[in-house]
Amino acid sequence: MHGVRVLLFGAAADRAGVRQTEVPVNGSVTIGELWPVITDRHPGLAPMRDTLAFAVNGEYARMEDEVSPGDEVAVLPPVSGG
Amino acid sequence: MFRIVEEAIDVGALVTGAFRPDCGAVATFIGTTRVDESSGAHVEYLEYEAYRPMADRKLEEIGAEIRDHWEVGHVSIVHRLGRVDPGEPSVVIVVASPRRGPAFETSRYAIERIKEIVPIWKREVWSDGYVWVGSQVGTRSPA
Repeated sequence: MHGVRVLLFGAAADRAGVRQTEVPVNGSVTIGELWPVITDRHPGLAPMRDTLAFAVNGEYARMEDEVSPGDEVAVLPPVSGG
Repeated sequence: MFRIVEEAIDVGALVTGAFRPDCGAVATFIGTTRVDESSGAHVEYLEYEAYRPMADRKLEEIGAEIRDHWEVGHVSIVHRLGRVDPGEPSVVIVVASPRRGPAFETSRYAIERIKEIVPIWKREVWSDGYVWVGSQVGTRSPA
């Protein structure tokens, strides 16, 4: 595994046009650093930035948290269960 | 019991499953699909998706928060995914406690927390397009 697996949900999957993508990274990067790489490939996501939350390996994460190859990053629009 | 399911929820079994000799109150919250109307269109059904297993774990966390702060004998939360037609339940919360106060309070607490921390998303499918609730992204033309 040479990249980070990025999962997209709900409106983010809609805007990106994919539900899953692999982003190559060299060593550790923060989510903040990963985000422009994702939006380069899926520009439709860019306007959603301020509404999104992120999770790393199934737990909420902050923009300054680091991810490494093999990690799973989830792009989470505002939740709307219930 | 905390579960995410893809089929209809057996509400009766969930409620009776909460009956216990040490509890004198069972409170239930059930969220169902409501048919909203606007601009001459109406909601046909809702469709839910989840990030699993994170969503399953977050439901369990809500159960743990409730047990940490209230005296309850039983907590069940079941959320459905996929298409949920008008009038059908998408979420069922059942709490049993020795007295009614904690049962009422925690059934409310659980649904509010679901709407804050559980990675589940709802898409309203209208007669003229769809909308992701919360993101307002979709195919309906602006009113």
